[in-house]
Amino acid sequence: MLGNTADSIFWMFRYLERAEHASRLIETGFQLFLTSKENIKSEWKSILKTSGSENYYYQNNEQIDSITVIKFILKEPSNPNNILTLLEKARNNAKKSRVSLTKEVWEATNSCWLDMNQMLKKNIYDKDVQNILFQLREKIALIIGYLNNTMLRNEILYFSYLGTYIERFDNTARILDVRHFLFLPNTMIRNDIIGETQWEAILRSLSAYRAYMWQNQNELSAINISNFLLFDEKMPRSLKFSLDQILNYIKLLKKNKVKDSVSFNLGLSIQSKLVSRKKNYNYDFGLHNYLDRLIKSNIKLGNLIEEEFNFHR
Amino acid sequence: MNSLNNSELDSIKTDLFKNYKVSGYDEALNENSKVRLSYKKFLNWFKDQEYSDLSKKHLDANKLFKITGITFNVYGNKQDREKLIPFDMVPRIISAKEWQKVEKGVSQRIRAINSFLNDIYHSQEIIKSNILPLELVYNNPAFLFQMIGFRPPNNIYNHISGIDLIKTKGSEFFVLEDNVRVPSGISYMMKNRDIMINLFPELFSKLSIKNSKLYPLNLSKMLKKSSSSNKKNPVVAILTPGVNNSAFFEHSYLADQMGVELVEGIDLSVIKGYLAMRTIDGWKNIDVLYRRIDDEYIDPLWFKEDSLLGVPGLMDVYRKGNITIANAPGTGIADDKAIYSYVPEMIKFYLGEQPILKNIETYRCSDSQSLKYVIGNIKELVVKEVHGSGGYGMLIGPFATSNEINSFKKKILANPKKYIAQPTLSLSTCPIFTKTGLVPRHVDLRPFALLSKDEVYVTPGGLTRVALKKGSLVVNSSQGGGTKDTWVIDS
Repeated sequence: MLGNTADSIFWMFRYLERAEHASRLIETGFQLFLTSKENIKSEWKSILKTSGSENYYYQNNEQIDSITVIKFILKEPSNPNNILTLLEKARNNAKKSRVSLTKEVWEATNSCWLDMNQMLKKNIYDKDVQNILFQLREKIALIIGYLNNTMLRNEILYFSYLGTYIERFDNTARILDVRHFLFLPNTMIRNDIIGETQWEAILRSLSAYRAYMWQNQNELSAINISNFLLFDEKMPRSLKFSLDQILNYIKLLKKNKVKDSVSFNLGLSIQSKLVSRKKNYNYDFGLHNYLDRLIKSNIKLGNLIEEEFNFHR
Repeated sequence: MNSLNNSELDSIKTDLFKNYKVSGYDEALNENSKVRLSYKKFLNWFKDQEYSDLSKKHLDANKLFKITGITFNVYGNKQDREKLIPFDMVPRIISAKEWQKVEKGVSQRIRAINSFLNDIYHSQEIIKSNILPLELVYNNPAFLFQMIGFRPPNNIYNHISGIDLIKTKGSEFFVLEDNVRVPSGISYMMKNRDIMINLFPELFSKLSIKNSKLYPLNLSKMLKKSSSSNKKNPVVAILTPGVNNSAFFEHSYLADQMGVELVEGIDLSVIKGYLAMRTIDGWKNIDVLYRRIDDEYIDPLWFKEDSLLGVPGLMDVYRKGNITIANAPGTGIADDKAIYSYVPEMIKFYLGEQPILKNIETYRCSDSQSLKYVIGNIKELVVKEVHGSGGYGMLIGPFATSNEINSFKKKILANPKKYIAQPTLSLSTCPIFTKTGLVPRHVDLRPFALLSKDEVYVTPGGLTRVALKKGSLVVNSSQGGGTKDTWVIDS
């Protein structure tokens, strides 16, 4: 497999994961907008911060306004991470490595881009948002479904998963980081910003609300939520799960040489950093620093993978 | 299937051909406007279809092209870079008997061209025998002095060729042009077939249509055979200029179909005398490079020094015999439009045979008699730049304004060697599907041929290009032409 191909496959799936994540952020915000208007502005602010595009937003907008934020995340050209651009980047990477993808994966990716372009070209109103998000996530799910069911179990697939989970680790960590104040000890939380709605929002934006409630007898608590999103091994968007997957696919790629793999070894050290908190958990001072370190290490891990597998010259 | 009696034929004509006016040679109707034998079975089926169903299928077909991403890029158009080549669903049908002659003729022609290339880069007998003037070769930028005296593996230069054929007044095919540099279009030929099978499976079960989808298999076999290495399974790769190239879809399609790597210059390097590609496990050697970039870009050390598309040192690897390049560098000299006019002589000279397919009458402006004729009769002629391609840089006399004619005359007189002229040909027509029924449009045909040391493979059929505008003779996709599936059938 060409290093160049690994590069485009890896990034194709990073962009798809990022686009899907952005769609879930919008959905969460939109739900709050419909149900509880009190905190909607701070919620949209958190969302913009999570997607790293807060500064770009304020370049052209003074006020936070739900539909403006939604359009900004969906398609505003001033937002370099708008969903349309992410889909285009994913599609262009797919086109570049068309040879490595099955016809099904390629056509689903191409159609996703073509159809969403068509849909988002029009002006967007409140009434359209749910349908757009539904269509988008269904189209991405189709790509992933075809990926799982039509691709050979070989390096190409491993790099698509590596891209997916490096990106996912980053996304989940950022969602928690932006709202780390929600996990402060009770006495320190200002009453006006805490609310079960916010915890619910976090879980919903990771498609984890039902799963969490199942495991925790319908009870929302800071410590359980953070444990669930950080350490749960069965939750497909937890940090632990994402990292396990990353290590697993590096192992499959390096086979018997995995012990010498620089990216594998960095992955192991992130893992021990991650779980160390589980052992000496003395309430939630320092969550921000902890997450910040993890996010930075994960970025480094992504770079090391690119180097180790000759993505570039 | 029963053949049609006269009254049935008339009913086909009244319904489908009510707007159909034949002038010149038509592939579907003869001079008395009767359906030709080769089209009978198809039209018999076609007349029973609901026209609205067909219209829907026509839309479906073009949608399918879009989803599969079968596009070509248009240079200089930022807004909408990826274009679809319009597809027409009425097949161009050629009888098996007629095809036999084409196949033999194409095969003969590409063998002669290969002999010519071997000769021109070695002993140059054809020049010594005063058949071809020396300056036509030496003054030609496509002639690579670097290739003189070098023997490519198996003495093969034009591994892959596309020969453009047309019919003019009668049923006979003429050669309009040889394409032996990096001929393109094969992916459209195959995709057109895919789409037709998808739209009309019943036709393919009923009629015996020759399979045109074996090309990738044959291409892969030929490329492996062309390797000079002793490996049982030589490593083949396709070199593309990249995702923004107008034919990128085709490059990736072929790589996909053959199961080989699609590489760009940035993936390649010369390592210990071999060409190698950068893989996730390090460098891996390549034995055969099917390059889809022009000679001048393949190696900046030997040719265009600012080229980023090629690989520095590739030509050294080649000259050491450590890689096969298909087509061989320097092959382009053979498809020059001035050299073209000598191909019939080459066939006689190298093969001792009579040409099976004739050339179009061609006036070489380098010849003073011809030049005089061309200038005097320019309004009736098509004038082409010797080194132009893709329908650019040509003048179609009967359709040109007097301003265009005058400026072209000046260009010709300033540099006569750069031009050839041919009579304005009325290309044959073929039915295309429109909202108001079938209408005739001009077509050409590009069969593809693969040359290896022991055989020639010619695709059954080829790519039919069609000018979609009424009366237009320009079939090039860059100028708004479309394509249709080509059937070779036993009728």
